[in-house]
Amino acid sequence: MKSVVTTVISAADAAGRFPSSSDLESVQGSLQRAAARMEAAEKLAANIDAVAQEGYNACFKKYPYLNETGEAGENQVKKDKCLRDIKHYLRLINYCLVVGGTGPLDEWGIAGAREVYRALNLPTAPYVTAMTFMRDRGCAPRDMSAQALVEYNGLLDYVINSLS
Amino acid sequence: MLDAFSRAVVAADTKTAPIGAAEIAELKTFIANGNKRLDVVNAISSNASCIVSDAVSGMICENTGLIQSGGNCYPNRRMAACLRDGEIILRYVAYAVLAGDASVLEDRCLNGLKETYTALGVPTTSTARAVGIMKAATVAFANNTASKRKSDYISGDCSSLAAEAASYFDRVIAAVS
Repeated sequence: MKSVVTTVISAADAAGRFPSSSDLESVQGSLQRAAARMEAAEKLAANIDAVAQEGYNACFKKYPYLNETGEAGENQVKKDKCLRDIKHYLRLINYCLVVGGTGPLDEWGIAGAREVYRALNLPTAPYVTAMTFMRDRGCAPRDMSAQALVEYNGLLDYVINSLS
Repeated sequence: MLDAFSRAVVAADTKTAPIGAAEIAELKTFIANGNKRLDVVNAISSNASCIVSDAVSGMICENTGLIQSGGNCYPNRRMAACLRDGEIILRYVAYAVLAGDASVLEDRCLNGLKETYTALGVPTTSTARAVGIMKAATVAFANNTASKRKSDYISGDCSSLAAEAASYFDRVIAAVS
């Protein structure tokens, strides 16, 4: 899975050399920034249900048509699945914060998402609304420190861009 | 290839759970000890040729038949192959220490190594002995107790990292034996 460490090792391995001092510097740089990412991951994990619920509420508020018969949120089962999907994205963001790269989102969230949403006839705009709401709702230092919020919002934006 | 962080992610994904405070506390220790880890990797890389040639000559000293006609380190061409393999194994151990995870060592070095050595007629007991000497040398460098190569960096307790590095060598020995 792609991270600073695995990238450095792959490059060194391709050249058949031991980790050089510049390789070690890159890893050191990534470890220095890791504290903010860990903080964001921890705070997100602690509140993941509440955050997902807020995002879910925002998308059904903006797109009430989803509740109508034949739409993506016509019954409770489908509504629950929508909430579950939002939580899935948040869980992958939590993983990305830990890894320090977009590997988990790329491999488990974004690859194939377009095909799945088309096959199931799901609209992506409500997901974008949910993610945008969660991004704008985050507030430093109430929720987490400013640097942690930057890392967290960056990943939400990454998901938004992949869906729009 | 995984590192300590992606290993935690893969473990959490099998439970479909986010990575919580308990796992993050463990990773924070990893981050806090990051400089020590980089020092250990640097010690291995800087002394690589010393560690490898010591291990191979030690192995031969204990079993001089290796460099007599018909031995597996005779002639020079096969001795050179032995030194090269020692360096490759040490290099993958250095990667594993840097990543804090054995997956790179397992996937790229040990997978199929025993079969290759069996096919080429490389004696596994000698291989295991050479790896054992590399392990002892690496532990000494990690703890900064190598008698003639003391480094001046701030001394601290690196025993857990030395044990981690030793465990990677044990994996190599187990894989070829």
